[in-house]
Amino acid sequence: MKTSSIGTLGSLQQRTVRFTLSLPVQATLYTSLFALILWTVYFSTYPAVHNQMHSLRHHTLMVGCH
Amino acid sequence: MKKFKMAALISMICWVGVVFYSVVVSSQTPQPAVRLSTEPPISEIRPFEAEAAVSPSPVRLTLQALDAAGQPLENAKMRLQILTPPHNPWFSTDFPMVEGTELLKMEAVAPKGELQLQQMLPIRGDYKLLVEVTPVVANAFSPIQQTLTLSVPESSVKYRNFGILVAILLAVGLGGGLVLGGQQEIPVGEIAPQRVRLLLSGVILLAIASLLIVNITAELAESHTHEHHSDASHSHEPGPALLQSQGLEARLVGDIETTVGQLAKLTVQVTDTVTGQPARDVILKIKTTPTEEEWAAFAYQGVPDEKGQLVWEEQFFDGAPHQVEVEVSPQSQSTRQFSPLRVVQDIEVEGVAPPMRSRLIVLGYFTSIIVIGLVIGLQFKRRSIWQYRH
Repeated sequence: MKTSSIGTLGSLQQRTVRFTLSLPVQATLYTSLFALILWTVYFSTYPAVHNQMHSLRHHTLMVGCH
Repeated sequence: MKKFKMAALISMICWVGVVFYSVVVSSQTPQPAVRLSTEPPISEIRPFEAEAAVSPSPVRLTLQALDAAGQPLENAKMRLQILTPPHNPWFSTDFPMVEGTELLKMEAVAPKGELQLQQMLPIRGDYKLLVEVTPVVANAFSPIQQTLTLSVPESSVKYRNFGILVAILLAVGLGGGLVLGGQQEIPVGEIAPQRVRLLLSGVILLAIASLLIVNITAELAESHTHEHHSDASHSHEPGPALLQSQGLEARLVGDIETTVGQLAKLTVQVTDTVTGQPARDVILKIKTTPTEEEWAAFAYQGVPDEKGQLVWEEQFFDGAPHQVEVEVSPQSQSTRQFSPLRVVQDIEVEGVAPPMRSRLIVLGYFTSIIVIGLVIGLQFKRRSIWQYRH
């Protein structure tokens, strides 16, 4: 029984690793990370970020500021 | 019967000719109209540039009412409405809350049929100028209603910066695709391929560094801004909104709080304190400037109406405090001479964040560029691996 449950856990871990390292997941993580960076730089309304990026936002096409 | 048909055909041709001729002639007959001229020329007008190195200048708009003979219409009242370009969520401007709104509404006496003002145009696109000209003396001439279009192209700097951004995003996507698309060998004892680990670690470090730089410089800039605030507050002289001097009373009243995208109504009233009657033989110079800047958002010089008033509604597109200043000075040919009076009103303007929909749409565009680069990189890498194997 113990051997069976250890085997199941090992199989689950391997499946999780395989899933996490699969190309779609990697590509999604990579894209999401850069989307987050873009949001922070160009679209965040956090006043400190808005003030710092104010000129860049106004000088980039399609980026709305206020 | 044949002759009858021929006669009917010839008659119809003649009627069509008469109708066509009359339409052509009437369209070529001069009509009273309003002519728009600008300074700088229309082809050189660009939208307002925030945080420009050189302080931007408003556009001088001159609207001249002309009769059918092309002569200026005198003793006219001119009403003007300026509408901003329509809202487009798929191709937003940098002032999305200004899109599809009214920028200015005013009615002024135009003794020579000319209305001249200076207005900062905040965004690119087609502005509509709705002009209505009516006679001061009833029935002196037929009223004119005309809609003029002023097209303002986008600044080239924005296109250039967007091109640079696209190139960067494509490179980011391409680089990610090349790394992710390579053969992933997992060394014994490791849970992830080394290259993937390196890529993700590098990207995470880059994200941390970017956010740190942004936040640290934001904190430093904010402390610098506090100093700048105290300096800027002295660049615009404070003044009263109501002033009595030299037998005149000048009063500036209206909305002292407003929001971007909405019009604020303002009225300047000049009264002779001796007679209690409106003073019309004066010149009013209006100027609106942001409190922390030197550029003028709106400026106008004219004369008050029969009530001694000038009423106008303007939109403060830059979500920052503004100061409206009105200088009352004597007309050169008037018997009433006095030193100019100056009344001032501070306006609080609430900025509004761009709509979430517009922001998400543009973020979608940028993210799509990364995905395109990613797909190209993956395809390229797989093709090179396939070629290597075969």
